[in-house]
Formats: sequence, C-alpha cells, structure tokens
Amino acid sequence: MSAQAQAAEVEKPRLQRLWESGPAGWNAALTKPYVMIPFFAVAATAPFVTQFFVDNFGWTGGEFWVRILATCAMYATLALSLNLVVGYAGLLNLGFIAFFGIGSYAYALVASEQLHQHFPFWLALLTVAGVAIAFSLIIGVPSLRLRGDYLAIVTLGFGLVMRELTLDLDRPPTLMGHQLGPNGLNITGGTEGIHQVDAFRIPKSLPVLGTAPHSWVYYWIFLGFLALCVFLLTRWRGTRTGRAWIAIREDELAARAMGVNTFKYRLLAFTASAVIAAVVGMINAAWLFNAYPGNYDVQQTVLVFIMVILGGLGSIPGAIIGATLVTVLPFVLQPLIFYRYVVFSLILIVVMIFRPEGLLGTVSMRPRKTLGGTVELLTAESTIEASELPAVTDAEAADLEAASGAIVEDPEWKL
Amino acid sequence: METVSGRKTVLEIRGLTRRFGGLTAVDRFDVAVNEGEIVSLVGPNGAGKTTVFNLISGVLRPTAGSVRLLGRELVGQPAHRITHHGVARTFQNIRVFPQLTVRENILLGTHHWSRSGMLGSVTFWPRTLRAERAARAEVHTAIDLFRERLEARLDDPAFSLSYANRRRTEMARALAARPKLLLLDEPAAGMNPYERIEVAGLIRSMRDRGLTIFLIEHHMPLVMEISDRVVVMDHGVKIAEGLPKEVHSNPRVVEAYLGRRAASA
Repeated sequence: MSAQAQAAEVEKPRLQRLWESGPAGWNAALTKPYVMIPFFAVAATAPFVTQFFVDNFGWTGGEFWVRILATCAMYATLALSLNLVVGYAGLLNLGFIAFFGIGSYAYALVASEQLHQHFPFWLALLTVAGVAIAFSLIIGVPSLRLRGDYLAIVTLGFGLVMRELTLDLDRPPTLMGHQLGPNGLNITGGTEGIHQVDAFRIPKSLPVLGTAPHSWVYYWIFLGFLALCVFLLTRWRGTRTGRAWIAIREDELAARAMGVNTFKYRLLAFTASAVIAAVVGMINAAWLFNAYPGNYDVQQTVLVFIMVILGGLGSIPGAIIGATLVTVLPFVLQPLIFYRYVVFSLILIVVMIFRPEGLLGTVSMRPRKTLGGTVELLTAESTIEASELPAVTDAEAADLEAASGAIVEDPEWKL
Repeated sequence: METVSGRKTVLEIRGLTRRFGGLTAVDRFDVAVNEGEIVSLVGPNGAGKTTVFNLISGVLRPTAGSVRLLGRELVGQPAHRITHHGVARTFQNIRVFPQLTVRENILLGTHHWSRSGMLGSVTFWPRTLRAERAARAEVHTAIDLFRERLEARLDDPAFSLSYANRRRTEMARALAARPKLLLLDEPAAGMNPYERIEVAGLIRSMRDRGLTIFLIEHHMPLVMEISDRVVVMDHGVKIAEGLPKEVHSNPRVVEAYLGRRAASA
C-alpha cells in the first residue's frame, strides 16, 4: 500500500471505515469489552425503565415486557450455545434442544417433591452439569466419529427419543415383558411435566436482588449467564481451542494435518454447548417452577436454529440480535394478529435472500458449503482420493508438456 | 541409522503399498531421505505421488509397508500424532483456513506443541497465557522467510489473499509446527516464473535452517535446480532414483513422461 493510500485510509471517518470492514469487522468491534460491558449494564436497567413507565404513565405492560426480555436473554444464551457447536465447530446438532430439556428435568428431579429431593443450588448445578456431560458423551463418543450428515441424523433421533422418554416415563418402563421398577414409579410426570419445582433460594438480605419481583430476578440471572457465556465464547474464540474448532469447520483434513485431534475438539465443543444449554434449562425450570415437555420439542430446535442463522453463524453479537428479533418480533407485530407470522416469515425470507450469511455472519449457508462446510469438509478424504485420479486440465497438460519437454530437449534450461 | 554419507536418515519408507479397490496407487515404494536433504518426488499425473504424501502424513492408511521417522514407526498412527512426531505438510490444492486470519492460520501450526486449554483460557491461568504468547511469538519466527509479503496481511482473512500468498501462508503454517520433516506438495504450482525463483530460494533457505525436505514438483527446471536427489514414480512404482542429472537422462523416466516412441526416437 502506498503512503498516499494509507493517508486516505486514515482520513476516512472511523464509522465509515467500520462500515466498510464488513461483517468480520463489525463482529470484532461489537465483541470488544468496551461495547459488551456497557451493553449488559444498560440491559440490566431495563426492569427499572419499565417500572418508571408503569409508575409515571400508567403503562400496564411492565411485568409482561420484563418476562419477554427474560425470554430473550434465555434464547440468546441458547443461540450462543448452538452457535458454539454449529457456528464454530461446524457440527450439525439437530437434537440440541434435548440438552435444554435434560437440564430442566435434571434440576426438577433434584429440586421438587417428584423424588422428594431439595438440593442446594450449587449441588443442583453440579448435578445438572454432570447429567448434561454424561448425555453428551453417550451421544458424542459414538456419533462424532461419523460424517456430518450422519451426525445430524443421530442427534435428531436423540432429540426425538428424549422427548418420547419424558412423555412415557410417568410409568415404569417395560422391556420385553419385564417391568423395570416398582408399580408406582413416576420419574418425569409424563405429559403433565414436573410441577412445583423450587426456585433458587435468594437471600432476602441481598441489596436489590433480595426484594425484586420474581421475573426481574430471573431476567437478571439469565442476563448474567448470557454475559458469562459471551465471555467464555470470546475467550475460547481468541485462543487455541477456538482456532482448532474453526479450523475443523473450515477444513477438517488440513486441521488434522496441523496436529488437531479433531475428535477430541468436536467432543469438547459438543459437551460445552450441552452444558450451557442444560444450565439454561435449569434456570428456566426454576423461573417457571416446572419442567414441561412442550418446552422443548422439535419446533424449539428450529426456532433456535432460525435465531443463529438469522444473526449469522459463528457471530456472538449476531446470536444475541437474532434471538432478540425472533423473540420480540411476534409481540411487536401483535396488532396485526392474524398476519403477524406471515410478516415475520416474510422478514426472515427477505433477510435470507439478501444476506444468506445472516446479519453478522461471515460463513455463507449455500449448499456447497452447508453449515460452514460440515458436510463437504467431512468428506474431504474422499475428495483427496478422487484428486488422485489423473484428471488433467488443459493448463496442467501444458505444464506437463513443458516439464517433460524441458527434461528431454533442454537440459540446461534454467529457472 | 547411518547412511554411507554419515548423515542420519530422517524418513525411511519400505514396501509402501496402497490399493484403492482394484487400483494399486502405490506399489512397494521405497525411499530414504537423509537429514538436511532436499529430495524431489516427480512423475506424471496420477503416478501416485500425492498418495505417498497422504500415506506418510496419515491422511490415508497404507495397505502394507512401513514409514519410519527417525526410527519411529508412523504407520497406524492418527494424522495428528504424526504431526506431533515431526511431519508437517502443505497441500497440492492449497488448504488454508479461509475464514481465519493469516495470523490464526499460522497459529494453527503451533497447535500441536502449544499447551493452552479451555479452562486455562477463561481463567487467565498464567501457564496458558504464557503458551499463547509463545505461540504468537512463533508466528513472527515462522513468517521470517515471507516477511515483506505476509507481515502486512497478518490480520486479514486468508480468503482475501492472492494465490501466491496463500501458498506462503500454508508454508509458514507448516514451519510454525517446528517439523523435522517438511512435505511440500507442488509448492510452485500455479506460480509465475519470478515466484518460482522465489520458491526455489525459500526451499533452500528452509533446508539451510536445518529442515529436511521431501517435495513433489512438476516443474522440472525447478526440481533439477534445487534437489539433492530425485525419485521418479510412474503408475505407483518407483522407476528411478538418483542425482538430478542421472535421473534426467534415464530412458525409463523419459518413457514415463513421453511414451515409448519418444524414448526410442
């Protein structure tokens, strides 16, 4: 770059340069601590703002909107965690929402009258994380060695099986005519779910948290956990682990050739994402006092996928924006009543036409590079073998001719 | 393991065979590469050269035979372990990670020897921070040979690079892995004459820094100029081996390239 061009570069206003840097630059700018910390600080004051309008203008939507915001924060965390496994590591995990359910039920079982257990918070958290790790290993160890599309099928099946299990385990399971467990065994509560789950015990002596309304507290808990996850993901993305994940997504073969144990790193991504989703499920169960099977069916998986894809695969601010849009838009469009889902779908379709990478994404979703190349890259080995076949292009033929010509006719030909 | 010249054998391949169904891509291939040597593997398209590289680096598993690096058997080990033992490679159809920056691409080379984990990075564990710093310092060592080309581009995504710069990034990435043996698969493919001269210089300076280099190359003048020894393959079989001059006038080699009539003419 010449000195003049450099000078011109400096003269451009900062915002214009930022705009021109494209999604990769926007992402980097938005994940800086001096953007993220004020964002979370402002977001944390939202309940007070709603309260102000309720007190001074007689607005009645205060409580309602705090709940919506809490749901936003919850879905944003889920979207981040899905982003980790799909956007970073390039693993198509279609059974993702099952881990949310596993977290909900694991917490509900150890903190309700269902099994007559009432674990303290930290023990419950450890239990939920442990159960999530166990399930992700059971699914991950055999299936993460599979090629991309098979992984998608296995995880989709896993998600459906888990849902059926929660519906059926209100009675003792029967295997080939043998009943396992006593007659009155009821683990999951079937279609009813588990009710009267303990909320987290928050000491009344805490300055603001102790006396705030229930949904405010859970809004802050969700927001805090979202902030923690943003921190974890930015740190991982900036160090060896995250580089290895992206490398696996981009080109599995080259990643292996650089010494990345691809199976280990896939399993790490899969498990980390499962634990985050399970903790979100646990907070959700404590917030709503129940674990209910309808909270995590296939539609929920699709919803979280929409958030991640709308925001942009692999983008942290994108996942937050995507989750907020998908959660809030139906409520904003409420006046249109019958047409709101039509309008909502139209918005999604328009975004996908004009920005197939999502709002802040850098990885395009075009079929050849499905989900950051998962399907294509996982078959890289077969492409290598195919490239062994003597497929000679014109240029190569000319090159070969030149090479062989040189070897026979012109031995003294120098570089 | 000492050879006649008294130099250590870095890579020793014996009876390496790989079949794809009915096709024998590599058939009882033998070669030995000594420390500090530049050995070229040449042959017509489809001769099985890249398959040999894939077998060495663990991308493919051999049907039979042995590959030893400094006496250690590599056959049967997974690809990432082979890198860990000291083999780094570049690819014929360049395989940089397009969405990662040049710096991150080169940092991937440090992956196998760097000790930085998931927990360490989120707790700012001193050992992890040191490992990350050491890896970032290694990037500057690795781009030493490409400094004027890559230094300004370190924070650009790799997809935005020119073809030649992608090749350079791939080489720097391989160097950052601190290998004992470097496998270069057609390092000069698609380059213009000036860039080819640069590549020749690069390969020599890598050797001068103590690396052992085994390369595949189509461009004969380049091969003749830089190689200490040349191995010629055709239809998966080694048909000649020796000094560039010897190989060059070998009738079997000429025949493999041009066919029988040209050889007898």
